[in-house]
Amino acid sequence: MDDKPPLISPQKPEPAFTPSGTPPAPPIRPREGDVIHTGPELAVGEADVRSAERGEFVAGTSLWRDAWRRLLKNRLAVFGMVIVATITLGSVTGPFVIKQVTGLTPDYIPTNIAALKSLPPFTAPDGSFSWLHPMGTDNQGRDLLARVLQGGQISLMVGVIATLMSLIIGVSYGAVAGYFGGRLDSVMMRLVDVLYSLPYIIIIIVLLSMFRSQTARGQLILLFLALGSVSWLTMARIVRGQVLSLKNQEFVLAARATGVSTPRIIFRHLVPNTIGPVIVYATLTIPTIMLTEAFLSFLGFGVQPPIASWGSLTTDGIQNIAIFPWQLICPGLTMGLTLFALNFLGDGLRDALDPQMRKF
Amino acid sequence: MLRFIIRRLLITIPTIIVVITITWGLIRLAPGNFYTGDKALPEAIEQNIREKYGLDETWHQQYLRTMGHVLRLDFGTSLKYEGQSVNTIIARSLPVSATVGILAYLLALAVGITVGSIAALKQNSKWDYASMTLAMLGISIPNFVLGPILVLFFSLTLYWLPPSRWDGFPSKSVILPVITLSAIYMSYIARLTRAGMLEVLRSDYVRTARSKGLSETQVVIRHALRGGLLPVVSYTGPALAFLLTGTVVVERLFALPGLGNYFIQASLNRDEPLILGIVAFISMTLLTMNLLVDIAYGYLDPRIRH
Repeated sequence: MDDKPPLISPQKPEPAFTPSGTPPAPPIRPREGDVIHTGPELAVGEADVRSAERGEFVAGTSLWRDAWRRLLKNRLAVFGMVIVATITLGSVTGPFVIKQVTGLTPDYIPTNIAALKSLPPFTAPDGSFSWLHPMGTDNQGRDLLARVLQGGQISLMVGVIATLMSLIIGVSYGAVAGYFGGRLDSVMMRLVDVLYSLPYIIIIIVLLSMFRSQTARGQLILLFLALGSVSWLTMARIVRGQVLSLKNQEFVLAARATGVSTPRIIFRHLVPNTIGPVIVYATLTIPTIMLTEAFLSFLGFGVQPPIASWGSLTTDGIQNIAIFPWQLICPGLTMGLTLFALNFLGDGLRDALDPQMRKF
Repeated sequence: MLRFIIRRLLITIPTIIVVITITWGLIRLAPGNFYTGDKALPEAIEQNIREKYGLDETWHQQYLRTMGHVLRLDFGTSLKYEGQSVNTIIARSLPVSATVGILAYLLALAVGITVGSIAALKQNSKWDYASMTLAMLGISIPNFVLGPILVLFFSLTLYWLPPSRWDGFPSKSVILPVITLSAIYMSYIARLTRAGMLEVLRSDYVRTARSKGLSETQVVIRHALRGGLLPVVSYTGPALAFLLTGTVVVERLFALPGLGNYFIQASLNRDEPLILGIVAFISMTLLTMNLLVDIAYGYLDPRIRH
C-alpha cells in the first residue's frame, strides 16, 4: 500500500484564478496513509484517478458539470426531469399538434348534435372506440386533452412567472440586507419576520375578491402579482445567509480594492455565487405556487374563463364527478403528476448542488 | 423564558394591526361599495346607509374607529347575515373547523411519525422507497383532487360514507374531510420524521444508549424519537398555515359550515365586519400557536433556550 504513488500528484498545476468566481481552493496534497475515498460522490471519475496515478494532469470539473453528473445518477430526479420536460413540451406544442392532426382546438364545440355531450376517454359519439379524444370531452363536447394541454400552459406560466418575480425580489432584498448588514439588515429582516407571520393566503383571497378584474387577462396579471409578492420571503432569507458568509471572503475584498462599485459587487460578484441554493429553492417554489394557483382557482378567485388552468379545469370536473369522472381525473392527475415530478426534480437538484444539505 | 414570551406577545399586537390594516385597506381601496349592486339605490336610501355605517367621515376617522373595535374584539354585526354578530358566527363555525383540523393533524401525526420512523429504521429497503414515494404523491396531489376521488370511491361507488354534510363530531361525516385534509401533512410529517430520525440514529448519544444495552425499542422510543421529532415540532407552525388553506378547501368540498367557508362567503359578499373578524381571529390563533411551538421547542431541545 505504501509503495503506491499518491493519488494526485503534488506537481499538479495551480488552477487559474477566476476573477469573479470563488477563490481557488488550496491544492490537495494527500499525505502518506491518507484514505482517499473515490466513491461516486467525488468529482473525479475513475479514469481521472488512474491518469492521476500515472502523474498526468487531472482536468478540473466545474460545479455545474459535477452537479449535473450527480443529478443524472439520481434516478428519481431524472424521472422528474423527463416528466417535466415532456409535459412542458406537450403543453407548449400540444394544442398546435392536435389542431394539425385532428383539426380540434381547445375551444372547438362540435356542430354535430350527437357529439354535443361529455364523451368518456377513447370513445366516439356512437359509443365505439376512437382515438379522437384520449381524455374524453367536457360538457360542451370540447376535447379535454387539448384543454388540459392548454391549461398546462397557463398553470406552468403562473408557476414560472410568479417564481421569477419572487426570485427577483427575494434575491435583491436578501443580497442588499446581507451585504450592508448592521441596522439596515436587522430592520429589513425584522420586516421579513413580520411578513412571515401574516396569514398571506387570507390576504390574497381578500385582494383577489375585492379587485376582481373584469377581464380574464387582468385577473391573470393580478394573480401573478399576488403570488409573486408573497413568495419571496424564504428566498430573501436564503440569499441573505449566503451573502453574509461570502462577503468577507478575499474575492470581495479584491473587487472592492480594485474599485468595483457596491451594486456591481453585490450583483456581479456575490449574487452569482448564491445561485446553487437559489436554483434549488426556485425549483421547489414552482410547484408550491402552481398548487396555490389551483387552490385559488378552485375557490373561484383564480383564472377566469375563457382562460383555463389545471386548477379551473379540475374545479369544473368536480361539479360533474358523479356522472363524468374523467373530467376531474384527467386534469387532476396531470397536475398531480407534474407537481410530483417537479418536487422530485427539486429534491434531486438540492442533493446534486448542495450535497451537504442532503437528507441521507 | 418569561422575557421571551412577553417579548413575543408584544410583537403579536403590531402584527395583528398590520394584518387588519392591510385587509381593511384592500377592502376600502377596491372600487365600489358593499351596497353597490346591479341596481342603483335611491339617493335617500344610499344616504341613510352611508350615515349608518359612517362612510362620510374622513378615512382616518373610519380607520381609527374600525381599529378601536377590532382591538376591543368587538367586530359588530355582519352585513350579509342580518342580525348576527361576527362573534356569534365565529363561535358557531369555529368548532366545525377546529374539529376537522385537530383530528386531521392528530391522524397525520400518528401515521406520519410511524411511517417515517419505520422508513428511517429500514433505510433503503422496499418499505422505505414505497413509503417515501407515497409521501411525495401525498404532497403533490392537491386536496381538492384527492377529496372528490375519495368521494367517488367511498360515497358514489361503495355507498359507505356521505359525500358531503356535517353531522357533528362522532359521525361518519367526519371521516372523508379528515382524511382529505390530513393527507398532505401526513406526507410532510413522514418525510420530516424520516430525515430527523436518520440524523439522530447516527448520533453519539444514540450509540451510547445502544452500548448501555438498551433494547432497540427503548433506544428508538426513549432516545431517538425525542431528537428525531424536532423537525416535526418546528413544522407545526407552517402546518397551521397549511391547515388554514386546507380547511377552506375541505369545507367548500364537503359543504361544512366552518370558518373557512364563512370567510370565502364573506369575501365574495364584501362583508367587511365578518372579513375583519375572521382575519383577526385567524391571525391571533396562528401567532399564539407559533409562540406555543417555540416554547415547546425550547423544552424538547435544551440547546435552544431563549
